[in-house]
Amino acid sequence: MSRDPVTVYGFINAKLRAKIGLMRQDHLMESLLRSASLVEAVGVLRDSRYREVAHAYDQTGDLQQMELVLLQKEIEMYREVQKYLEGSPATFVQHLLGKIEVDNLKNAIRLWYSSIIRHRPIRHRSGYLFKEVILHPIDWTALINATGWDAVLNAVKATPYWDVLKAFTGQGLEQDGLFVMESKLDRLWYASLMQSCKDLSRQDREVATSIFLLEIDLRNLTILVRHGGYHQMEADKLRTLLLPWGSVFASPETEKYLAQKSGERSPLSIINRYFPGLEQTEVQQNRLGLHSDEASVLENLKIEGYLATRRQALYQKMLATDPFTIGLSLAYFFLCKEETAMIKAILNGKYYGYEEEYIRGVLG
Amino acid sequence: MNLFTRPMKLLTAVVLEQTSEAVVKALLELGVLDFVHINKLDPQQMEKLSSRPSSVNRANLEEMRKRVEALLRQGHLDIPTSEVLDVKKLEKPQLEEYKRILDELTADLLSLKEKQKESNQQLMGLEEMRRYITEEKGEYLDLRVGEVTHGKTEDLGGKLAVYGGLLDRVPDSEKWICLTLRRDVSQVDPLLEKFGWVESSDVELQRKAISLIKDRLEAEHQKALKSRTEVEHAVDAVVKQQQSQLFAIWSNLRLNELCDQIRSYFAYTRNTTLFSGWVPSDQADQVRSAIMTASEGQCVIEWTNATEVPRQEVPVAIASPKALKPFQNIVNNYSTPEYGTVNPTIFVMIAYLSMFGLMFADVGQGLVLVLVGLLGSYSYKKNPLKPDGMLSRNVTSLLVYLGFSSMVFGALFGSYFGLSLFPALWFNYEAAVAGHAEGSLIHDVYGILGITIKFGIIIIYTGLVLNWVNLIRKRSYVTLLLDKNGLVGGLLFAVGLYMGFGFVESGYRQFPQTSWVAPVVTVCLVLLFARGFLSYFLSLRKGGPKHEPGKLILDSVMEWLVDVLEIFTGYLSNTLSFMRVAGLGIAHASLMESFKMLSSLVDGFGGIAIFILGNVLVIVLEGLSAGIQSLRLNYYEFFSRYFTGKGIAYEPVGLNSASSEKR
Repeated sequence: MSRDPVTVYGFINAKLRAKIGLMRQDHLMESLLRSASLVEAVGVLRDSRYREVAHAYDQTGDLQQMELVLLQKEIEMYREVQKYLEGSPATFVQHLLGKIEVDNLKNAIRLWYSSIIRHRPIRHRSGYLFKEVILHPIDWTALINATGWDAVLNAVKATPYWDVLKAFTGQGLEQDGLFVMESKLDRLWYASLMQSCKDLSRQDREVATSIFLLEIDLRNLTILVRHGGYHQMEADKLRTLLLPWGSVFASPETEKYLAQKSGERSPLSIINRYFPGLEQTEVQQNRLGLHSDEASVLENLKIEGYLATRRQALYQKMLATDPFTIGLSLAYFFLCKEETAMIKAILNGKYYGYEEEYIRGVLG
Repeated sequence: MNLFTRPMKLLTAVVLEQTSEAVVKALLELGVLDFVHINKLDPQQMEKLSSRPSSVNRANLEEMRKRVEALLRQGHLDIPTSEVLDVKKLEKPQLEEYKRILDELTADLLSLKEKQKESNQQLMGLEEMRRYITEEKGEYLDLRVGEVTHGKTEDLGGKLAVYGGLLDRVPDSEKWICLTLRRDVSQVDPLLEKFGWVESSDVELQRKAISLIKDRLEAEHQKALKSRTEVEHAVDAVVKQQQSQLFAIWSNLRLNELCDQIRSYFAYTRNTTLFSGWVPSDQADQVRSAIMTASEGQCVIEWTNATEVPRQEVPVAIASPKALKPFQNIVNNYSTPEYGTVNPTIFVMIAYLSMFGLMFADVGQGLVLVLVGLLGSYSYKKNPLKPDGMLSRNVTSLLVYLGFSSMVFGALFGSYFGLSLFPALWFNYEAAVAGHAEGSLIHDVYGILGITIKFGIIIIYTGLVLNWVNLIRKRSYVTLLLDKNGLVGGLLFAVGLYMGFGFVESGYRQFPQTSWVAPVVTVCLVLLFARGFLSYFLSLRKGGPKHEPGKLILDSVMEWLVDVLEIFTGYLSNTLSFMRVAGLGIAHASLMESFKMLSSLVDGFGGIAIFILGNVLVIVLEGLSAGIQSLRLNYYEFFSRYFTGKGIAYEPVGLNSASSEKR
């Protein structure tokens, strides 16, 4: 029998709301941005909830070690929330954690690819990889030390990723690169996520799908614009890259777009129908300065910016409406991930000696 | 200790501009003036005055001070406290010079950190191979023994290092051991080939190679670890070397920040400087003589009594002994009392400790709380810069008091770790809960409930009396007489109690049949109804706004209805709320009884373990519940009677001020 939402979410959502309140109070980003160098930025973290990150810097002086600690904290964040939930919401949060596993797997395979296929020494770089179990029993050490594709497959044999990866061969990857394989891994994650959305209660399902269908729509739009428009990919190939959910995938405009000749494709009809306002979204001037020669990257940034704005609005709405749904947890994850991403960006900016204004511009 | 908030005086002073810096320093050193922005003074006075832009940007000072703090912390040094601040050493801040010093130090640290990063990366590579050897994952390693026939072995060693590999000579031999990772074999093979590597066929040597290279690996690992740690120590040393300079910069920046904060309250005419602020009356003379001395007597000082200023504008200073700080914090956490009203600290202390003791009465467990509190306080005292943990400084101090309260009530109820080691001084609580306390003063749970209700009545009446004292001091006689927390409210509560106790005494059959009850209640209700009209007419007399008769009647009726509802339901629920004191006390006694029974079922160590575990569990869980419930009763049942919380806190600017201005 399903428990009532107040029982399920009462405690955890009160806890998360308090944490969100603290996050909003502490002006951490502002202090980080204003710090004069990496040493001072670390000083800001020292008195915050990121003190372990500062500790890693004290011990190693290594920025990537700090990023590893941030990743660990992100994993802990999901686990902590999952611990206080049960049933379908707990499984759902577990699926969200799966995204970190997929990204870690992609990173590990990239390292393997760099070492074995491209013959570049990876030396200590495997040390920056998260090697503990996240969700599935991936043998990270075996994967990173694999001397052939079969050994890679062996490292993931007891996981759902095996089914995706077995379709590829070492030779094929050498020729075509990792892009398609990575897209398939992402697709697998979205499939399991959408499946686990179905098991949620009606209110939770509505909240979760509103967020993830938006993300899927914009991801599909990015694929259509970037690969269909700029890289002029064939329609059949393009279709296999699209995630089979959301409005964009099922829309007649997308069908028309795919049917057009690759050189004449225009995504405007899709944008006008599903993302009014996106065409008017302006990419930050300094971003323009960064990549003025790369139209597809700009378009990507524009869609990302639009996604960020829409997502922000959705999460703000979740924080203001029914407090007894999965929405608050999702908003918390979003805010924490956003904060972590900003911390990484600022620390990197400080490491490379960029000015405060420049970093602000890049962060948008 | 003052029973009321400290009397305050408003200082307004004019000094010659050339002495204003000396006055700033004197006031900063004294640290008792809570400045008032000069724009809050009379507008006519304001017209003659002007403000001056600060010569330094306080945000810059603060930012630079934070830089210094970050550097000190990077060197694992403590940030100086306000104790190092000496106003006599105040200088104009040399921001450019400070920036140069800090930039240089930062550059040194960053270059050291870069070295540390390299050591760390080397260490990571070595650690990976070391782990594979330790975990016997030889399949990931590529171990070879052979000879180098072309080129220099140093060159080969250097090239192998790119892959994190090691090349080590076999003792007393021309042969070499090469250890790399198998994943790098496709790159290492051509490299070895280039140096004419000839693999040895000596099986014995091949077998020994792993232990030989293990020593080298261990040595390299230690070297890299040492190097990484050395850099960390070098960072500390570099900062330490600059410590005195950093402290001096920090002090001067902080002093300038504070002076600028004071100056920001100043206003100027052509030749004079004017400022104003609140001072506790007992420190007024001190402030006066400090200003006189600093301005060499060339000043005009005026004092305004707090009575001449609207009460809500006077900052509130509370003087409580240091020992009562935990209870002062409980009050501060709620709000600031109104100026001139009762200082609630001592009352909170008595009420809080009594409530806690009634809920958590045990000599042994109380002693544990005292010891935990003392140990915690000692630990914080030993490490003054230690950040507050789950048991904060305030909680550890509070635990000592709570422990003693628990011990006193434990002795009254005869409970020693749940055991009745000595006879109860009052009555045996546990026996009363278990219902076998025949002949005792209190012999069942109803008796316990009765005690806590009576205790609640005392608390509520104490709150009411404090409210009446406050209202007399505020000269709010109408409210004193006609408010729900005034005399009428108190009288109605008394009538309610009389009826309630009469009902209980009759065995819950009927209320007392007394002729005076109905007229008294009626008069009280009429008086409550009259309050709205009376307040309106008094306000009219003082020039307040005029209302339509209909609106006045409607407002008064609504207010009256709400008041009556609040009196009848509020007092009842507030009184019954104190039953939680009995509830938690009963739960405490029951839990201890259960653990005693459980432990008696198990012989030997198991029984003792259950008894100890039970006590620990009760101390943690019941202690927490009792603490929270006592707080709740204080905040809702006690404070709501007399504590308006409308005051503004007295925050003087001094060397001990908080690092960032909050107001």
